[in-house]
Amino acid sequence: MSEDPFIQICDLHHNYLRDTPLEVTALRGVNMEIYKGESVGIIGRTGAGKSTVVQHFNGLIRPREPGQVIVDRQDLNDPNVDIRRIRQKIGLVFQYPEQQLFERLVGDDIAFGPKKLGLEQAERRERVKWAMEMVGLDFEEFKDRFTFSLSGGELRKAALAGVMALQPEMLILDESTSGVDPRSRKELLGRLLTLHKEHGLTLVFVSPNMEDMAGLVDRIYVMDDGRTVMNGTTRKIFSQPEKLREYGLGVPQVTEVIHELIARDVKVEHIPVTVEEGVEEVWKILNS
Amino acid sequence: MEDFELLRHITIGQYLPGDSLIHRLDPRTKISVFLFITVAVTFSISYAANIILVLVTLFLVLLSSISMRYILSGLKPALPLIIVLAILQLLFYGDAYTPYGMASRTLFQWGWINITNGSVQLVIVSAMRFIELLFLTSLLTNATTLTDITHGIENMLQPFSKIGVPANELALVVTIALRFVPLLAEQLEIIMKAQASRGADIASKGKLQFVTTSRQVAALIVPLFIDAFRRGEDLILAMQARCYIGGRGRSSFVHLKFARMDYAAYALGLIFSVAMLVFRNHFPF
Repeated sequence: MSEDPFIQICDLHHNYLRDTPLEVTALRGVNMEIYKGESVGIIGRTGAGKSTVVQHFNGLIRPREPGQVIVDRQDLNDPNVDIRRIRQKIGLVFQYPEQQLFERLVGDDIAFGPKKLGLEQAERRERVKWAMEMVGLDFEEFKDRFTFSLSGGELRKAALAGVMALQPEMLILDESTSGVDPRSRKELLGRLLTLHKEHGLTLVFVSPNMEDMAGLVDRIYVMDDGRTVMNGTTRKIFSQPEKLREYGLGVPQVTEVIHELIARDVKVEHIPVTVEEGVEEVWKILNS
Repeated sequence: MEDFELLRHITIGQYLPGDSLIHRLDPRTKISVFLFITVAVTFSISYAANIILVLVTLFLVLLSSISMRYILSGLKPALPLIIVLAILQLLFYGDAYTPYGMASRTLFQWGWINITNGSVQLVIVSAMRFIELLFLTSLLTNATTLTDITHGIENMLQPFSKIGVPANELALVVTIALRFVPLLAEQLEIIMKAQASRGADIASKGKLQFVTTSRQVAALIVPLFIDAFRRGEDLILAMQARCYIGGRGRSSFVHLKFARMDYAAYALGLIFSVAMLVFRNHFPF
């Protein structure tokens, strides 16, 4: 990881409704570095500026001086940057993915990206098929369905497939898997992690919920009130529950349980983050 | 560089909290005076009358302490259309329009283009009227909350309900229409961002840009409408779930009351507009 970061953000500020009396400050100093092949989490309570930051990643919001966003060694402050290539490399699935579909048929919607890339019919079909299998939608069953006939969970999967069909190098999920049933969610995240481990897909998860992050991400950025306030490995962040509580956040329930046990003078070797680790730890305590 | 934040450019309909004289007036006063002056604007075709109207509306804007820059920024998206209209009026209206207060005279002629002092007057007066109406609409909507406007309209239509005018329903329609403007802008922003994220080049430059632009607009409009209908349906459900009936027998949380200030403003607005109408053919130029 000695190379340049894939995404580098320095002192980023952003105001919505700029130059109007209704102006609101969303970001007041964000610094982040994300390297290729990493899996990073961004957490913070609602209104902390998480979605605003990730929309800078693929240039939907352009940085303003003195803030700087560098993506794949290209400075997004430069108006001549080829933004379409950046957006192809960095796939963003929005917070309300069901609003992200705009074609009539599910298949057409997922094929939108590959079509814009100028792929041939056959290759496009392959991409759509691949992306749909990836998210767990049956190709034959769903490709000719109307988008408005889908359920909420299916819509979210279809929206994710639409972004996956671009085969991006980095995938950002902005609370995009909430509302998907637990089994589909587990399968989906499992497939994404496989892509991450085997093909080096960079993953960014955005969520206010710690439980979502545990076991998925190597590193976490904590945001509060438009600033990045903490960053470090998942374990390091979760070992500071008091500090997280200050920012209106919590730690996963397993971690919470172990912290409570520590407070009651129980000797614990490792702080667990996932349920599996928690079981191990509790087992050790019971046996000692 | 594209900018997806559409709401920044929609100023009409956006309530700005404040405590100016205009903010404090009763909504019925504001709606009535707004209508009076709008009528005056519609019938004023002379330079002199429009200069007076621009000054009066400008004075009202200053009184409301709403930022002039904000109001004028609402003009930006409409500017290309206004300019095209002005050019068409200038070039092709020469023969059809008799100027106010002077004899028709050709200023410039070339082929079938005939610019007269009439078409020049038309362009300038149209521009002034546009500004006046922009000021008036901004004043009404930027200094009055949507709820107040609704109550105002409902209250003003109440006397007509005896002859079958559905006052409550009409007021509701107006409220929903105004309320949907920012919602649609927000939704359009989401669709544009979703398409851009997946490789659509929105707002890129190139040859035949207007062809690509209009194709993109079609790709945006259809999902936007589908979403608007969906929101409409949700709204119906939400209203039914809360047993909304409206109309007769329904008491109101807000009780509007005319203050001394309102009588004064109402009278002034009425007198001014009537005077503008009566003297509309007596202005010197």
